[in-house]
Amino acid sequence: MTPAARWTGLAALLALWQGLALAGGGWPLAGPLEVAGWLWSNPGLTGRAVAVTLANAAWGFVLGNAAALGLAVIAALWPRAQNLVAGLALVVFCLPLIATGPILRVLMGPGDGPQIVLAALAVYYTTLIPMLAGLRAIPSAWLDLVQSYGRGRWAELAHVRARASLPYLLAGLQISAPAAILGAMVGEFTGAERGLGVLTIRFTRDLDIAALWSMAVVAAGLSIAVYAAIGWAGRRALPGAPPVILAPPRLIRGSPARRLADTALLTAAALTLWWAGVELLDLNPFLAKRPPDVAAAFFGSPDTRAALLDAAAKTLALAVPGYLAGLALGAGLAVLLSLRPGLAGLTVPLAVALRSIPIVTTAPLIVLLLGRGAAGTVTLVAVMVFFPTFVACQQGLRQAPGPILDLFRSHASGPWRQMLHVRIPAMLPALFASARMSVPAAILAATVAEWLATGRGLGNLMALSASVSDYTMLWLAMVAVTLISATIYGGIAWAERRVLSVMAPEQVRP
Amino acid sequence: MPSIPLTRRAMIQAGAAGLALGGMGLMRPAAAQTPVALQLSWLHSVQFAGSYIAKDRGWWHDAGLDVTLLQGGPNAPVEPPVVAGTALIGISAADYTAAAVAQGAPFRIIGVAMQKNPFAIASLPENPVRTPADLPGKRIGMAVANTPVLQALCTLNGIEIGDIQIVPTQYSAQPLLAGEVDCLLCWETDLPVAMEMEGIQAQTMLLADHGYVLHSQTYIATDDSLANRRDELIALLGGEARGWDAYRADTDAAAELTVRMFPDAGLDLETQKLQARRQVPLMFSDLTDAHGFGWWSEESVEATIRTLSLMDRTVTPDLWDRSILEAIHG
Repeated sequence: MTPAARWTGLAALLALWQGLALAGGGWPLAGPLEVAGWLWSNPGLTGRAVAVTLANAAWGFVLGNAAALGLAVIAALWPRAQNLVAGLALVVFCLPLIATGPILRVLMGPGDGPQIVLAALAVYYTTLIPMLAGLRAIPSAWLDLVQSYGRGRWAELAHVRARASLPYLLAGLQISAPAAILGAMVGEFTGAERGLGVLTIRFTRDLDIAALWSMAVVAAGLSIAVYAAIGWAGRRALPGAPPVILAPPRLIRGSPARRLADTALLTAAALTLWWAGVELLDLNPFLAKRPPDVAAAFFGSPDTRAALLDAAAKTLALAVPGYLAGLALGAGLAVLLSLRPGLAGLTVPLAVALRSIPIVTTAPLIVLLLGRGAAGTVTLVAVMVFFPTFVACQQGLRQAPGPILDLFRSHASGPWRQMLHVRIPAMLPALFASARMSVPAAILAATVAEWLATGRGLGNLMALSASVSDYTMLWLAMVAVTLISATIYGGIAWAERRVLSVMAPEQVRP
Repeated sequence: MPSIPLTRRAMIQAGAAGLALGGMGLMRPAAAQTPVALQLSWLHSVQFAGSYIAKDRGWWHDAGLDVTLLQGGPNAPVEPPVVAGTALIGISAADYTAAAVAQGAPFRIIGVAMQKNPFAIASLPENPVRTPADLPGKRIGMAVANTPVLQALCTLNGIEIGDIQIVPTQYSAQPLLAGEVDCLLCWETDLPVAMEMEGIQAQTMLLADHGYVLHSQTYIATDDSLANRRDELIALLGGEARGWDAYRADTDAAAELTVRMFPDAGLDLETQKLQARRQVPLMFSDLTDAHGFGWWSEESVEATIRTLSLMDRTVTPDLWDRSILEAIHG
């Protein structure tokens, strides 16, 4: 994209935004002029909040990414552990932050602990997954060379794998920057003294529209700046452009029995970690429930079960359409831009901005704009899913093999035919990978919208349970959210195996 | 006691470390001071100004306490830190306390800051809701989670809740001003204040004036603290009582102190002054004049128990423990 196209696109977006704000009479959309005015008159307040939130996000970013590196190295050194590591990482990533926030606050007391931990939890998965791929993205001849010198796995790691994985690490770091800021802001909801999240709560409560939009703009601006800075540093440090990798490692086909055993092992490990964690940290039983308490509540009380299932059904009824819409929009826009590249100047900045506005500030605003009905929540979920899918699909479309495209051109097939028969099949692995990765994000978006704005479904159930001290229900809902995310993830992996073994068999390892 | 509260207490004790860690600019490092924490129920605002006065004037310090004020938030329930011992006292409300006790929390209510429940129904003067009898046929904007509150009001006043149209809204005055609803279920001290700042004088009807008696902004502590940390409870709640008396004497000064102490909280001074004035009639009465801040009568306990029973919460008068207040005001 040329700089001119980028600036034109940005200017067009600003004009569109201001126009919409004027059309609404300043409610509930504040335009760029109102936002600039508010920021101009509150520089100190904004600056101090930014400093606090950024510092916590930076700590979380460092710790979360360090944890991701450690896990990736474990998986590279002991390949048998990879399924368990990736599975546990997914389970932890699926934990709803509405429930983990108060638990972390009680555990860590006053201070910045929960903000930093939630930021770290928000980033580690999106770095771990590309790293798992990156540590393997090497020609096997290099490994043979290491072995022919009689060296072992550590030497492989230090001399070959670590260097090969650098581009993947950068891709992961880039994606995790906006997530760290979101995590820090949600952490501030648990009783922090200051920061962008605290101001967001205040302004949501006061419904100070200009201030609320200013918070959204500042948070998005920070996210975009960090995202761009890491991308810039990556281009400087690495020879080629870093690959945009949002894809988990290739699926292992394996036998059904093997997959079942893996799932059982993962479930056992997760339950053990939960129970042992509660016991070892000596958490108060009023707040921290153990697996038997939660199982007893689910199987012993029909009312509890009915309330949980009803809430889950309400959440899924909006999360699933939003998720599918996000996938369709992401893939559709990638296809459209590949056919009409001129539109990129308008759409790419918008896509980055949408992804970067932390959902805690967007949720109340989108619901104000679109109402408490289905539209607001569905839109929010779609926005969360759209961007990673779009980026991954763009990358996928470029993977179309050149010789086959040449063959099509030599038969004078047009761009549409090339798209249908070559590029879209080449895009499918990326689309599926992104579909899997987006599941926790979609559920997160749906529950946050329910919690902060619409007051229904699992998000509301979790918030309400915490407010009336029904911590058994809170843990039950936490298990339900995690199970739902993991099950959809597994279902998509199943569909992916089926489709790819026909459309792109080389992508599925035997 | 489990080891966690001890380590946490130790952490708070390290005042300097706490400063670095938490940016808790409120802590005064001092030797021979007992560190205790007071868990607030929401973000810092004039709603807790009595505590800020006590802190600012060093009354707790003089009583041998190093008090940390823990801010609340949308994802910061009050009860767990009190159960876990992180906070010595929490600011709750009788309904939330009753719910926590039903879940096994060993709480007692040791003081009542809001004698009158702050829930109100706000309407515009041209289409006012002055008494519950005005409600049938009206559209009320509220959070669905507050339906039990409206249900209790209806039962207490012989109204059919089905005759009122509940419209789920964001917690905001906007739906009322836009004419989407005829009235709002809100707190006397927030949305009507926001409307007044916009130059709109809303009509408000306090639920407390129509039978909805429910102690609010109650101080809660655990049985264990009542048995073993009495002196600290007396010193902490005693400072609160002094702070709130000073608040009543000059609410504008209390609002100014609040804004000065929390420059990062995004507070507006004029709004805080107005809210501070509107809070006074809810917190002080002939009863508190006679017995002191935080006092309650047996009748209001009975009435609160009755209101709670309408909301399917069963509690006994044992939930209230006046011994700390008696030691302070006696």
